[in-house]
Amino acid sequence: MTRPFYGLTIALTAILLLFLGWWNLFAWSVIPIQAQDVWLSLTHFDSQSISHRIVQDLRLPRLLTAMLVGACLATAGTIMQGLTRNPLAAPSVLGINAGAALGMALVSTLPVLYGASSTSLAAMIGGGVAWLLVMLLGSSWRIGGNERGRLVLAGVAISALCAALTKAVVIMEEDQAAGVLTWLAGSLADARWQTWQHYWPFALAGLFGALLLTPSLNLLQLGEEHARNLGVNLLRSKLFGSFLVLLLVGTTISAVGSIGFIGLIVPHMARLLVGQDFRIFLPVAMLLGATLVTLADTLSRAISYPMETPAGAILALIGAPFFIYLVRKRTL
Amino acid sequence: MSLSAHKLSVGYHGQTIVKEMNLTLPDGKFIALLGPNGCGKSTLLKCFARILPAMSGEARWQGKNLHHYPSKQLSKELALLPQTQPIPEGIKVKDLVAYGRSPYTGFWGKLNQQDHQVVEQMMQQTGTFELKEKLVSELSGGQRQRVWLAMVLAQDTPYLLLDEPTTYMDINHQVELMHQLQILNQQGKTIITVLHDINQAARYCDHLVVMKSGELKYQGSPEEVLTSAMLQNVFSLQAQIHRDPVSNTPMCVVEDRSPPSPQHKD
Repeated sequence: MTRPFYGLTIALTAILLLFLGWWNLFAWSVIPIQAQDVWLSLTHFDSQSISHRIVQDLRLPRLLTAMLVGACLATAGTIMQGLTRNPLAAPSVLGINAGAALGMALVSTLPVLYGASSTSLAAMIGGGVAWLLVMLLGSSWRIGGNERGRLVLAGVAISALCAALTKAVVIMEEDQAAGVLTWLAGSLADARWQTWQHYWPFALAGLFGALLLTPSLNLLQLGEEHARNLGVNLLRSKLFGSFLVLLLVGTTISAVGSIGFIGLIVPHMARLLVGQDFRIFLPVAMLLGATLVTLADTLSRAISYPMETPAGAILALIGAPFFIYLVRKRTL
Repeated sequence: MSLSAHKLSVGYHGQTIVKEMNLTLPDGKFIALLGPNGCGKSTLLKCFARILPAMSGEARWQGKNLHHYPSKQLSKELALLPQTQPIPEGIKVKDLVAYGRSPYTGFWGKLNQQDHQVVEQMMQQTGTFELKEKLVSELSGGQRQRVWLAMVLAQDTPYLLLDEPTTYMDINHQVELMHQLQILNQQGKTIITVLHDINQAARYCDHLVVMKSGELKYQGSPEEVLTSAMLQNVFSLQAQIHRDPVSNTPMCVVEDRSPPSPQHKD
């Protein structure tokens, strides 16, 4: 990986992200928005203009949230693939999404728990319990015990269990069901400034923490014995990494619901572009994740215009074939 | 004096493999750990390398419990070459060897001028310099083992632990590696290696440690340790001791197959 090429990759991805973001702000609106209105609403905001108000109050927070969601999920997937040395590891594959969704379903439907904790905390706890169970079943905490297939199977099993429990909770509390189902599918349609305000401080902290973890992730790729030998504190790295994953995924799911496949696909795309060094490819993965979710969000308004398709569903359409490709390509 | 075991027990899954062992490894020597399969020699090495915790007792470094030192500090003192190496994808030889400098670099792992020099020197020394732009995954088994050795050497530690380093090598590469280790030892490194080939150990190493069933049985120079009695007691083997015609070190020649004894499970 040469530096000029790396710089070029970052620059091109950033330009693509900005372009898609700008397009996202005016495209596929029920009330037509002109491209130049976007610029005007940012520079000369006119509170009388409906299109200015749509851009400022609806589109902009939605776009910013979409970008951050993409960066967070791509980062969480990168950390998980690094910690487990498993190319199939991702929040949605290893049960964290399903666990977090179950946590939120419990808090938002059961009267006993209602108001007991915030939804993001519930998502983090739910995701954390699921992740812990998957790691124990897949025996990934023990040194040397890292059977790749077993970890993924454990993830699938725990995901199915959490999904079943979530459905049971939703059926029991029917009046809350519609809301729960919306964020189970993962949609950015309801992201407002309030969502953004609760989301960005935690998300940025998680992204920054992930950058700090990258040198250790590099050494972990040499196997745990070599990592240990080179001075990596294995337990501390794994705990810090797991905490970051839960922070990133928990806050993301409580903001926009369960969006899958970003965490699985994007780290592989970034590796293909700039190589295996985590310090180099994590920033690229963040930008690519942001780009992909922004694109999916724009398409979510286009596919069944003027209705909305959840962005999570669109990403699943792209992600599922990619997942199958990975399973076939790699020996587990 | 620097590396020692005090009533040390080590094992896996609740099963004790090394049993209340007392052992002091002499400084500056080229030491071979010998013994039948399952005797605990690799397990002992892994405990010294902090891969396995002590179940009871202590593994000590400079008289203090090894497991109480910060990871990074010890990684400048002790380096381990494990028995099997992973095959990392998409990593070039020079980048892998550079990871050996991690204990010395700052947080972000950026190499300075001196680090680059050490990396280059170790690649030269192990004959891997010509491979530096290649991917580790493209190399042959013998080349790959040398690249990993270069990485461990780049750690620049006074102590080097190796777990059966010659197992997957043909005889040419085995001799080359043992010779290289001998040179490193002469340059001042203490080398502790698990070996299976007793004659190889007697020829290249100057201190042998023999274990059986998790206990220390013999320790000393090849002259002292490599005897018919030791081979009988530890390996249940009838053997004669001769002189290696080239190096004049002791060497064993197996007489005939003796019937397998009940406690020797192989």
